[in-house]
Amino acid sequence: MPITDDQIFSIRDIIDSQLETREKRRIGRVSDIEAIWQEDGTLVLSSLVIGPQALAGRIASPLRSIVRFVLRDRFDHGIPLDDVEDFGPTLRLRGSAADYPVGQSDAWIANHILRWIPGSGH
Amino acid sequence: MKKWLSITLGIVTATGGFLDAGTIATSGESGARFGLGLIWACLIATVAIILLVEMMGRFSAISKKTYAEAIRENFGFKFYLLPLLSEVIAESILLAAEIGGIAIALSLMTGISWRILFPPAAFLVFAMAWRAPFDWIENAPALLGLVTLSFIVGIIALGGPSHQLLSTLWKPEVKQGELADYLYLVAATLGATISPYLLYFYSSGAREEHWTSSSLLLNRVTAIVGMSFGSLGSIALIFLGAMVLQPLNMQGSSLGELGLSMAKALGPFGALLFAVALFATCLGAALEVVLGVSYNIAQGFGWEWGEDKKPVEAARFNLVLIIFLLVAVAIGLMGIDPLQLALAGSTVIALFLPISLFPFLVLMNDPQYLRDKTNGRFSNIAIICILLIAFVVAFVSIPLEILSGGG
Repeated sequence: MPITDDQIFSIRDIIDSQLETREKRRIGRVSDIEAIWQEDGTLVLSSLVIGPQALAGRIASPLRSIVRFVLRDRFDHGIPLDDVEDFGPTLRLRGSAADYPVGQSDAWIANHILRWIPGSGH
Repeated sequence: MKKWLSITLGIVTATGGFLDAGTIATSGESGARFGLGLIWACLIATVAIILLVEMMGRFSAISKKTYAEAIRENFGFKFYLLPLLSEVIAESILLAAEIGGIAIALSLMTGISWRILFPPAAFLVFAMAWRAPFDWIENAPALLGLVTLSFIVGIIALGGPSHQLLSTLWKPEVKQGELADYLYLVAATLGATISPYLLYFYSSGAREEHWTSSSLLLNRVTAIVGMSFGSLGSIALIFLGAMVLQPLNMQGSSLGELGLSMAKALGPFGALLFAVALFATCLGAALEVVLGVSYNIAQGFGWEWGEDKKPVEAARFNLVLIIFLLVAVAIGLMGIDPLQLALAGSTVIALFLPISLFPFLVLMNDPQYLRDKTNGRFSNIAIICILLIAFVVAFVSIPLEILSGGG
């Protein structure tokens, strides 16, 4: 089947795009992408990366290592490309927020911080 | 019928919500120090904010995106950091001033020191931002803010301006050694009126209220009529400062002092009206600033956001809101007079205006977002000119003001 224009994406269409889960929760934006060389010599996009280290690397490459030294990979997470159900202005994921570490951030803040403030709806 | 009702409400809220600590501070001090010699700055700032508010509403209604979302998606993360950082720095100073303004208003009503009332004022802002629904935040302080129109009654009660004063409209009296202060006030006037926080708030509000292309009439009328009426309050304060404070050789260097002009015009009731106006406008603006910055960060990073959601449903958005409020409280507790903070915040905003708003002009000319509703040539040229004036005046006046030891 021939590929149509709608099916061709540039890196610019993916990076910084909104990530939305199955239940339409906004969990973050794509900070960076990871690609792997296949044995046949082709470069294949493998996963989307979300986190402060990836973002720091986009400001200036040396910053990535500095932030990595401080945060030690704790807050950067990858989402396999196969999990993206729908490409477009918003990348729709197959899973729910609880299925992704980055999607659990809101729940962690709600459960550990906001719950102590009256009226938080916890 | 419903459409006209929402248009009326839009005009009323824009009118009542126009003033804030920044505009009150700049208008009052401008009048007290330079007569009507800064009304020109107020007028060009009003033209700019009318154009920008109309553009922002049009952008969000047609593209279904907020400004922060579009900057990140279109220009990338690195570029997004520029308007974000400038916004956070300038607005944290301004938020401290707005909370200080609420505290001073309460102090004028109760006689208790504003420094004691600062923490309760901050708590009031937090409580409303924490749980009040969006339309409450948008409409309630703005409706109360209509009291600002009583400033016009004050001018009439004082018998109107003299011919001598009116001549300062086109011939500002800037004495030797006062040029730095004059330019600083021009920059502050532009920065106080052309507030990016208002635009982030307005753009998010258009999304919270699900605007579509059928909302464009509401948007245009709100921008033109509401902002024009709103600027009347600002201009009236310049008149009051010039008519009451300048002859007394008062500099209008604190928000409480500015209230004297209304007290002179209408007696104790006038002083109360000033306090109510200050309370309502600063409360409305404090909410818009804290939400504007929180919206900006949450949308830029792609987090769940929305004032009509329970805080736990948009946890990172609400955590940013709390942290930003705490930063402003820390700045406010340093004890700097809110009027001076408002002037400083507004001048810094003027300095950053090109960074905050040039990306917006690029987006407003992109048919991918606006389809056939992109900007006309007049709007583009007018906004570029005004932003450059604001930047140049701020760039020149800030070092001069620091060197001269401040107003």
